[in-house]
Amino acid sequence: MASTETETRQTYLVFACGSSWYAVPAECAAEVVSFPELTRVPGAPMHLMGVFAHRGEVIPVVDMGMLVSGESEPTRRAVLVRLPRGTLALTASRVAGVSHVEGRLEPLGPSGVHLHLRGPARSAQRDVAVIEPEGLFDHLSQGG
Amino acid sequence: MAPGRRIAGMLLCRSGESRVAFAAREVATIELPRDMVRPVGAARQAFGEPEGAERVLVADSGEAVGVDALEIDAEPLEVLPVPVLLRTMGGGSLRGFVLARGMLWPLVSLVDFGRYLAPPEEVT
Repeated sequence: MASTETETRQTYLVFACGSSWYAVPAECAAEVVSFPELTRVPGAPMHLMGVFAHRGEVIPVVDMGMLVSGESEPTRRAVLVRLPRGTLALTASRVAGVSHVEGRLEPLGPSGVHLHLRGPARSAQRDVAVIEPEGLFDHLSQGG
Repeated sequence: MAPGRRIAGMLLCRSGESRVAFAAREVATIELPRDMVRPVGAARQAFGEPEGAERVLVADSGEAVGVDALEIDAEPLEVLPVPVLLRTMGGGSLRGFVLARGMLWPLVSLVDFGRYLAPPEEVT
């Protein structure tokens, strides 16, 4: 995907965590779930809230607010992002639905998690940060 | 640990607000913290909670972990694999997750978790 593309052909699941909106490619957004009480993981960073068992798989839950801005946003809902290497749950306080995204898809920062968030972009009159899932997965695998 | 593997004989431990499980075969002795000759890490530390322990699990090779409370579970249970995302956490000590008592428990290696939590050796 070219970084200067003004409108993507892909569709995205658009969701919010707190006041920030995100878009994740619809092809890897498996479902939106309400998660149960989580099991904490020893040695996990602050943004990794814990895990829960879902259809025989252990799913890590990532607090998007804590990961991106350092401020936790209480919610029991999450978007399950399914990748070849595994599934992760990204917390979502609101889900807008599936739509196209317009804008530039360049990294929103030079390092850290912002390297895997792209924009500036808009979807349905909202500013969104487009999540690059594989890069985010790598970032989280290295401890975030 | 291979997917679908089962385990029988576990110590289900409480550490502050969190919980952690060990394979019973890995635990050589259970001691009181005051009886330990050198400082031991507490599982609470791995959850960002204040240090403290009521019992210490000790492996044959000497590694040890302090916990608040423990109970034994003898039922054979399936071990759910560790997600790729979590493989390096806890010093790489996670071996899987088990569903016991209606809850999910992280199953860790006592030896590796003990090394991860061990206080740094004092240089003399």
